[in-house]
Amino acid sequence: MRHLLTAAALVCVLAVTAACGADETQDENPTATETTATEPAPPSVSATPEESETPSEEPEPEPEPEGTVIEMTLADGKVTPAGDRVQAEAGEPITFVIDADTGGELHVHSTPESEISFEAGVSEHEIVVDQPGVVEVELHEPALVVVQLEVR
Amino acid sequence: MLSLTGLLPDPAGDRSVLAHGIGGARDLPISPELAIAGAVAALIVSFTVLTLAWRSPRYDAATSGRPAPRALAAVVDAPAFAVVLRVVGMALFLFTAWTAVFGEDLLINPFFGMFYVLLWVGIVPASLLFGPVWRAISPVRTLNRLLGMVTGSDPGQGLLTYPARLGYWPAAIGLFAFVWLELVFSQSTELGPVRLWCAAYVAVMLVGGALFGDAFYEQADPFEVYSTLVGKLSVWGRRDGMLVVRSPLANLDTVVARPGLVAVVAVLFGSTAYDSFQDSSVWLRFTQAHLDQARLLDNVALLAFCVGVGAIFAVGCATTGVEVSQRRWALPDLFAHSVVPIIVGYIAAHYLSYFVEVGQQTLILMSDPMSQGSNLLGTADLAVNYWLSYHPTFLATSKVVAVVLGHVLGVVAAHDRALKILPRRHQVTGQLPLLLAMVAFTVGGLYLLFAS
Repeated sequence: MRHLLTAAALVCVLAVTAACGADETQDENPTATETTATEPAPPSVSATPEESETPSEEPEPEPEPEGTVIEMTLADGKVTPAGDRVQAEAGEPITFVIDADTGGELHVHSTPESEISFEAGVSEHEIVVDQPGVVEVELHEPALVVVQLEVR
Repeated sequence: MLSLTGLLPDPAGDRSVLAHGIGGARDLPISPELAIAGAVAALIVSFTVLTLAWRSPRYDAATSGRPAPRALAAVVDAPAFAVVLRVVGMALFLFTAWTAVFGEDLLINPFFGMFYVLLWVGIVPASLLFGPVWRAISPVRTLNRLLGMVTGSDPGQGLLTYPARLGYWPAAIGLFAFVWLELVFSQSTELGPVRLWCAAYVAVMLVGGALFGDAFYEQADPFEVYSTLVGKLSVWGRRDGMLVVRSPLANLDTVVARPGLVAVVAVLFGSTAYDSFQDSSVWLRFTQAHLDQARLLDNVALLAFCVGVGAIFAVGCATTGVEVSQRRWALPDLFAHSVVPIIVGYIAAHYLSYFVEVGQQTLILMSDPMSQGSNLLGTADLAVNYWLSYHPTFLATSKVVAVVLGHVLGVVAAHDRALKILPRRHQVTGQLPLLLAMVAFTVGGLYLLFAS
């Protein structure tokens, strides 16, 4: 019995060495991750080309928001997303693109806390979280956690 | 967690069902590599202890421990010392009662921080450092003593004898009532309900003390049982009334095994595990998809965690070889002390940054108990130091070290107890089911730290 268990202990040691030798370069901290499947509502861009362009040329691509983008929809008292985990970076802007049929307030439980007030319609709001941690963004009416931001 | 800025009650007086607690951001989950490393370390240590550790029991309550330095013992044994501690306890109790009764129903009322952080979490490091702290400062013991002096009766002796079969069960129920209030109850951060819980606690303790005397506090006061159990991991003990210094493991061996001890450790570990689980994205999405049953789901989950931990532990202890004369189901209470280090390790992992940061914030808020902008203790203008939150890798490593360390101590404690009470031919194989149960607790705990 002792023999068997010592052997088991040695196997565990081998398992540890094997695990440590495995690929550790997995990037746990993705930088600008986009959670949107569709394009966010484009902000108005004034495009004044300095040189004349031929009509066949494509216009300048609109600048996309940097950092994490979260699309939220609020319709008939139902919210999406409802509790997803989203990666984000500390100190980088986090953009909420809200499409709501009524106005409301998002409470961001960071340290210190902040709030996002939004009206009905489509709007974009930006916040920055400096302190690493898991930050819950909660809607009141209906009282739900929209996303949990993993800020690193 | 508590935050100083922008905290006002909702105009409708309605607090969110799911997301409010006291606190802002929470700890990040630990990385999978760290979790796996911790789990493997726990496994290796467990089998190493099983195969290579000592073969005859080492810890004996009757002979272990060296007498404490004479000067220290003289101070601690002096009656004045006990009185000073009682006065400190009473002062804290009165201050807390003042904030609870006359303070505002806002999250910046220090009452919530004092109750949920300084008391509930703080009791662990205080007991680890100083031994059974609550017994020394317990306001209900002091009140009972005062009532005894006023009525001319002996406060230590009650009218009846505390039934031995009841054991620690009332404390287990009391602890469950606390964790239910903190983790599941939707109004856990509203002044009225929490104040009511405290009032009920004081009432039950005073009635119990009058009925059963000091034995009631020793076995039925949830905070005292908690503090005394964790205090067994300190170096302080008493042998024949003398203050002694013992190794924590030798001290742990002196835990008095009474009915209900398994229930106590099950509630302590199960509730902390549920606290982690509650914050996970999986549970959040599940309960929010079934919002109408969210309360019920939370209640069931907390109960399931506590009962599950107790069941796994009891089965792990009882499935072993026993002598004909031994009762199989008496074993879990005899081994329950070995779960205490695992509990302490996991609580350290789960609450470290919360205690340090929200604790600081509570100390700041205590200067303004009536939420009027006053600065009674001089701490109102200090700022919280968030060093731990800004060093998540250090924090994550500390968590895993705490959990693995707790596991190591637990396995060693269980091993020594097995040598004492299991028949010789079952001393190695008989430990296996319990060892597996403890590994399951540690691995489960590490997984929850990874998934929360």
